[in-house]
Amino acid sequence: MVAKIICYTLNGLEGVPIEVETDVNKGVPQYEMVGLPDTAVKESKERVRSALKNSGMLFPMNKITINFAPADIKKEGASFDLAVAVSLLKASEQLVGADLSQTVFLGELALNGDLRPVSGLLPILISAKGHGFTKFIIPAGNAKEAAFLGGAEIYPAHSLAQVVKHLAGFNTIPPLETQTFVVSNGGKGSSDLKFVKGQPMARRALEIAVAGGHNLLMVGPPGTGKTMLARCLPTVMPDLTFEEALEITKIHSVAGTLGEQGIVSIRPFRTPHHTATTVSMCGGGNRVVHPGEISLAHGGVLFLDELPEYKRSTLEALRQPLEDGVITVSRAGGTFTYPARFMLCASMNPCPCGNYGSAERTCSCTASEIRRYRKKVSGPLLDRIDLQVEVDNISYDDLVASAENESSETVKKRVDAARRIQHNRFEESGINTNAEMGERELSAFCALDAEGDRILRAAFEKMNLSARARGRIIKVARTIADLDNSEAIKPKHVFEAVSYRIYDKLD
Amino acid sequence: MTQDEQAILWLAACSGLERRTCVRLLRAAKRPALLLEDFEKFSKIVLKEGQSGLYNSDRSLRIRQTEQAMRRLEAKGRFAVTLVSDDYPLPLKETPDAPLLLYGEGNRALLKERAFCIVGSRITPAWAEKTGQRIAKELSEIFAIVTGFAEGGDSAAIAGAIEGGKLICVLPNGLDGCYPASHASLKKRVKERGLLLSEFPPEEGVNKGAFHARNRILAGLSEGVLVLSAGERSGTLITANDALDYGRDVFALPYSLGERRGAGCNRLIQKGAFLVTDTEDILSVYGLHSIKTERVSLTAEETRVLEVLRTGGTLHAAVIAERADMQIFEAAAVLSSLELKGLAVKAGGNQYNAL
Repeated sequence: MVAKIICYTLNGLEGVPIEVETDVNKGVPQYEMVGLPDTAVKESKERVRSALKNSGMLFPMNKITINFAPADIKKEGASFDLAVAVSLLKASEQLVGADLSQTVFLGELALNGDLRPVSGLLPILISAKGHGFTKFIIPAGNAKEAAFLGGAEIYPAHSLAQVVKHLAGFNTIPPLETQTFVVSNGGKGSSDLKFVKGQPMARRALEIAVAGGHNLLMVGPPGTGKTMLARCLPTVMPDLTFEEALEITKIHSVAGTLGEQGIVSIRPFRTPHHTATTVSMCGGGNRVVHPGEISLAHGGVLFLDELPEYKRSTLEALRQPLEDGVITVSRAGGTFTYPARFMLCASMNPCPCGNYGSAERTCSCTASEIRRYRKKVSGPLLDRIDLQVEVDNISYDDLVASAENESSETVKKRVDAARRIQHNRFEESGINTNAEMGERELSAFCALDAEGDRILRAAFEKMNLSARARGRIIKVARTIADLDNSEAIKPKHVFEAVSYRIYDKLD
Repeated sequence: MTQDEQAILWLAACSGLERRTCVRLLRAAKRPALLLEDFEKFSKIVLKEGQSGLYNSDRSLRIRQTEQAMRRLEAKGRFAVTLVSDDYPLPLKETPDAPLLLYGEGNRALLKERAFCIVGSRITPAWAEKTGQRIAKELSEIFAIVTGFAEGGDSAAIAGAIEGGKLICVLPNGLDGCYPASHASLKKRVKERGLLLSEFPPEEGVNKGAFHARNRILAGLSEGVLVLSAGERSGTLITANDALDYGRDVFALPYSLGERRGAGCNRLIQKGAFLVTDTEDILSVYGLHSIKTERVSLTAEETRVLEVLRTGGTLHAAVIAERADMQIFEAAAVLSSLELKGLAVKAGGNQYNAL
């Protein structure tokens, strides 16, 4: 007889249903798999054979044909093992009675019959639920990740034997209890703005950047706390909503980097080293495309330390995702789209010797050397970084009497307030932050008065700004006005926004 | 071009003949034009045995070479001004080692203007650049501003004077090349608005010693030299020393003690150079007064911050904010506004100077 079992594979972040059809015929013992299985899928034969034997069941000594439908999609990985085993049992009539047409089986088998966790489970569950499936049998190791999906019967199983007993109707597995999402405060303690000494300018820039979703570049001599400041970014960013967390978890699940928790509950903070390749940054792979660093940073921060040291091509590849918030990668195996809406935070030294603007040492670089160093970061990329701020190594204890350091919590409250204003403003436009504003929103929400317009015009002439930079300055001014709880963009807001474009002033 | 000028053009193109030798040849010939006519006669007297044969050729070839050289210059819109030309700048002519020939490109009329030289080393603090730029702009109402072509101080002078077009840049290389290469577009702008001068044949690159030679022309052309920045052993000091040798006035910006980028300037002042804080300081030496520039209006906050800056020297933004009794971001906005008005300048590391 022919048995049909439902399984899932991934195409990007989308789950695609796969039917595992098994036919057991009389004839010379033979085992044939068709329907574009890759090596890992073909090797399931041995795993399934041993797992069946060690679970007290028979591997039928007949002519067995297994077909994966639809036949034109490549099937990869070991997550089909359980479906193949169950369909074999069903086809060889070792498992009777149960209606399995609405159940999705996922899991890799060990030789002793244990179920091993698979990567990318959450996006599969979400897609399958959308396709109308309500029953899932998954490896117990994936239980934590699956527990956040409500509205479905999910049975976490430890072994094939347990699955068989459950399907046969005795010793059923209790369905997974749906967990409610709680924002983790695990990030607290490790990084907090209150541990950062001084740096009032950089703090302010950080606050504006987070409040409006702007990108940030910190320039300063080595050892001035650029990295420490950057690590505080997630602590002042607004809490994740459940939808955001699910979206982020999906990506991390596909990449196989999901931790113990099962769901990503704090905003990601990715710090790829400057030797990173374009593929590791944007995503890629042989046939299946794995999400790159920019997708893993989705919803969080991508921190590029020592920006000019990155390969030019790698940095240029960031330009399009910075604008669109998604990355589409094409490979022989297909075209994959991953979300990549991240906040870019970069740091760099001001000049080759690193001492430009330093309090203790004098810089020995000529203007042309500095320019050459800074040219390593292309203009179009810099244009997309709205806030550029100098981080200096001046000791504040000596200079300023009131050296109190605000904690992340205080800053976060102001950020949340500014975000609320933006949320109300953009309710109908489908965007979240000031940084995402297009031309239409710019003209609707960012009208400058005559004075502000005059300032911008003057800044333009003095600083040789590009047209894109103009829009960016206005967006930053809008965020500053929001932080100030001001409906109109006042001249002082424009002035402050202009002061964050230090790079345009260099030439 | 007169016959005499042509002769000097030909002579200058004889590579390998030092300026000294050329002068002796010219002296022997009484009139430069005679050199073209009868070079062999004079070369026998002046040149050494081995050298004299080198440039001996028949008269028609010499004339042809000269015509070719003139055509090449014309084709590129250039000109050559020689020691015997009417518009050879007088101050330069008075110097003992005035170049026989200057190649030029751009506005030739500038050669007749009164000239003032503004130079600075390649590493010049931001406030000095801004000050130099302002002084160059204001001075260029009266003088043609003479400067080199390097980064830093020279660039500041160019930036100030290029608007009005009264700008002469003297290159350390031939007119074809550009040093530093990153100034290629700047070179084009100077050519269009002002004047480029070079003592070297157009195709000549940058040689060791060319900067020294160029600096003497900077000093020679000008009535005075303002040094924006100079380290203890800066090349800019060569220009200042040349100026002293030629009896020109030397001016310098003052620096605070321990500022290495300005040690040379302070040394100049010590030796008797005029201390300059404003354009007026230079003009008064020549008995002139500037056409007063318009006053900028300031808000109360701007006045407060400017007052703090003027009292405190180079200050960090956090300190400015504290002393002016504002939030740091408010101070940043005010400073940004002062910067656009040209009253303050960012010195790196979030520090500011008043101008």
